[in-house]
Amino acid sequence: MRLSAMLLGVIPAAPLVSAALCLVVKNVRVAKLSTLATALLAFAASLAVASDVTRHVGGVLLPGWIGVNALAALILVLQGFVGLTAAAYSWGYIPHLAPGDPARQRRYFLNLNLFQASLFVVPLLLQPVLTWVAIELTTVLSIFLVSFANTREALEAAWKYAVITIMGATVAAFGIFLLLWGLTRNHVTVQTWSALIRTAPHMPAGVVALAFVLILIGFGAKVGLVPMHTWLPDAHSQAPTPVCALLSGVEVSTVLYVILRLWPVFTAVPGLSPQSWALVVGLVSVGTAAFLLLQVHDYKRLFAFSTVEHMGMLLLCLGLGPLGALACVYQLTTHGLTKSLAFYGSGSVLLATGTRTIGDVRGLLRSAPVAAAALFVGALAIAGAPPFAVFLSELTIFRAAATAQDYLVLALLLVFLAIAFLGILRRTGGMIFGHPTHGPVRLPRSVAAAMLVGIVPVVVLGIYLPLPLYHLLGMAAATLR
Amino acid sequence: MAALASLNTVVGALFILMTFLLMVSRQIQSVLRAFVGQSLLLVLSTVLLALLHHSTELAVVALITVAAKVIVIPGVLTRTLGQELRARREIESAVNVPVSLLLMLGLTVLAFFLVAPLLGPPAARAAVNLPLGLAALLIGVYTLAIRREAVAQVLSLMAIDNGVFFAGVAITTSSAIVEAAAGLEGVMVVLVVAILTRTIAQHLGSTEVSSLQQLGEGVPR
Repeated sequence: MRLSAMLLGVIPAAPLVSAALCLVVKNVRVAKLSTLATALLAFAASLAVASDVTRHVGGVLLPGWIGVNALAALILVLQGFVGLTAAAYSWGYIPHLAPGDPARQRRYFLNLNLFQASLFVVPLLLQPVLTWVAIELTTVLSIFLVSFANTREALEAAWKYAVITIMGATVAAFGIFLLLWGLTRNHVTVQTWSALIRTAPHMPAGVVALAFVLILIGFGAKVGLVPMHTWLPDAHSQAPTPVCALLSGVEVSTVLYVILRLWPVFTAVPGLSPQSWALVVGLVSVGTAAFLLLQVHDYKRLFAFSTVEHMGMLLLCLGLGPLGALACVYQLTTHGLTKSLAFYGSGSVLLATGTRTIGDVRGLLRSAPVAAAALFVGALAIAGAPPFAVFLSELTIFRAAATAQDYLVLALLLVFLAIAFLGILRRTGGMIFGHPTHGPVRLPRSVAAAMLVGIVPVVVLGIYLPLPLYHLLGMAAATLR
Repeated sequence: MAALASLNTVVGALFILMTFLLMVSRQIQSVLRAFVGQSLLLVLSTVLLALLHHSTELAVVALITVAAKVIVIPGVLTRTLGQELRARREIESAVNVPVSLLLMLGLTVLAFFLVAPLLGPPAARAAVNLPLGLAALLIGVYTLAIRREAVAQVLSLMAIDNGVFFAGVAITTSSAIVEAAAGLEGVMVVLVVAILTRTIAQHLGSTEVSSLQQLGEGVPR
């Protein structure tokens, strides 16, 4: 067996080992250290897997059960990177959330590792039903992370998150069963993604159409597509910051991955036209989120609404012809890297000021320059300003829309993105400049270090696209066709 | 054979009636009892289908369902939420029972209408379970939206799950590992959500989740 195939097993096992250590060794320092070490190991392993996938080797650990394609490898790398920065950020951040309570801090690291492991499992599984189980696990294992603060607001957020996303996943399960029925009716007994894609043209169109609607609604609820998005700004703002970064940066994309993986199944059926659905649902999400962005008073909610906007954009890409697929995976990558940075920035503002209300914070540039810089870069980058990564990926989306001659979509998208851009910058600009409302604060070193690492890909990918990543994106886009 | 099939039709009818009962009961204890009843009917239908199609996989599914839905999940709920379960309080709902029943009837008809075009002669074995499972799913989602009490919402979630599997057992079978994973995951969902419910009850003094309305875009706090 090839090394990279074995690494597939290492990736989810690493955070599990760390979780076991958190449980057994009653020492916070050990918990922090093992979390960071295993996060680094998992990220390195995900890079090795991705590199082998681009060279067309490896990729399957257990045929029919565990393996990756290019899209799954891309998701793994994103999860690995954000997992690493989240582990580093948690080191200095969590003691501020549970001061003088090492047992509670240890429980945080235990939950974080379990959540991270469940995220890693999703792209590794080759059977849709098992992937569905893993998606449910990501919800189950992150509920206590969302409610960690144990305030009335955090409990409210956790409750909405649990009920809406579990309901959504159950609805999606019906859709998956219908697709498996399509296999059974064609006497196919292997229930993998590739079997589904191969058999799709022979499935009854009505079965696939009903499955598509149920899966779009069900997983759409967990991705945060409008109108099933109501829980997202709550959960993605109440959770501790490193968890927000994981939820908003990679968890939603990990769920969207399932829709992407099934996309060739949906497009193979004549008369279904999932592209039109993607365009409409995507545009509605982008538009709604852009206008809601203008009304927020809480800066973490600002970035949460931006996630709704970006998820809408990713879905919209699927309706934009051949270049749209590339735009989709490109945007998925830049969004994950940038959104986590934006949340790290806002979390450090929360550390420095103790308030989430936008109007109560001014003059960060003088009181907490590091937090101000991170927030400013994060906000600019996620709003799509050059020279950051999202700018280039959004240009690809515009190009895809123009190539597909969807000029109306392009115009609406430009208007919505301009609104969101102004909304984000006006809100955060007021916090950064002006007379300071809070005294000077020094951020924990690990928090600053995590942000420094997080900023690197956001800047580098804004200047150029490294060749290996370009190959990976191209191959991932090809899996959508 | 024909007897088994018509017996399954009867079980299907009882299943949807039990779903109605689960969704309109006003006492938490009776909602829980209706859930166990609904789960037992799911098991019964699975056993009948297993006999009808000589399928050992379905027999395994039936065993897993008994363990997870009939024994462990009600047990977990009673253990973690003993007090809340015994509370003799009326479950509040945004819509009254007669209107709800009428709407649920409408949703059942809608489910048959949606599924009818999919059921050709090769799909006869799914003719009962598929539309009724979809109906239970739609009814469950509707109830989840109108119920204001945490335990009732959890049981609605599980009833939706039963609906999905009621349809699932008739249209597809997976390997035992996959089925066991799904069953175990159902237990974990209930355990975690039940613990969350208990924490909310400790903070709020009740499980009226509809009173959780702090978050939103209103005036800054």
